[in-house]
Amino acid sequence: MTSSTSVNPSTLLPLELVDKCIGSRIHIIMKNDKEIVGTLLGFDDYVNMVLEDVTEYEQTTEGRRITKLEQILLNGNNITMLVPGGDMPSD
Amino acid sequence: MNRKEKLQEYLESIKGRPVVVKLNNGVDYRGVLVCLDGYMNIALEQTEEYFNGQLKNKYGDTFIRGNNVLYISTQKRRGG
Repeated sequence: MTSSTSVNPSTLLPLELVDKCIGSRIHIIMKNDKEIVGTLLGFDDYVNMVLEDVTEYEQTTEGRRITKLEQILLNGNNITMLVPGGDMPSD
Repeated sequence: MNRKEKLQEYLESIKGRPVVVKLNNGVDYRGVLVCLDGYMNIALEQTEEYFNGQLKNKYGDTFIRGNNVLYISTQKRRGG
């Protein structure tokens, strides 16, 4: 498993950017009006992620629903975007 | 590949523990996780089905196909 190919150090693979976020807060924007903020513990090549101290923000017809979760394994299938170091801007 | 190890470690650590499994359609399943695989296929025991925070159904053993799973959460705190 030597997938860490020696590339030009000035270029950064996308997943290496995510790798730099391990241990810090990350803001995840999902496909379906859902956003998740948490501390990134690890991830795989599909960007399935293990997160800690998670807050889930759901857009519903009755307004925004917030769910707090201790530790989650998040399926990477519905992830649109990752924002390093981000908390919800409107909090 | 340290970043992957954390995932494997988590997968191993949650077997036998109470979990909340949230699906893409918004339904929550709370139960005891028996086993899971790399597709996030899951076997649960003592399963309770919640929608909008309300208990809808109870099942003994269930199998959840991994493609529907949004996340698997370990149930230390109650959702707020």
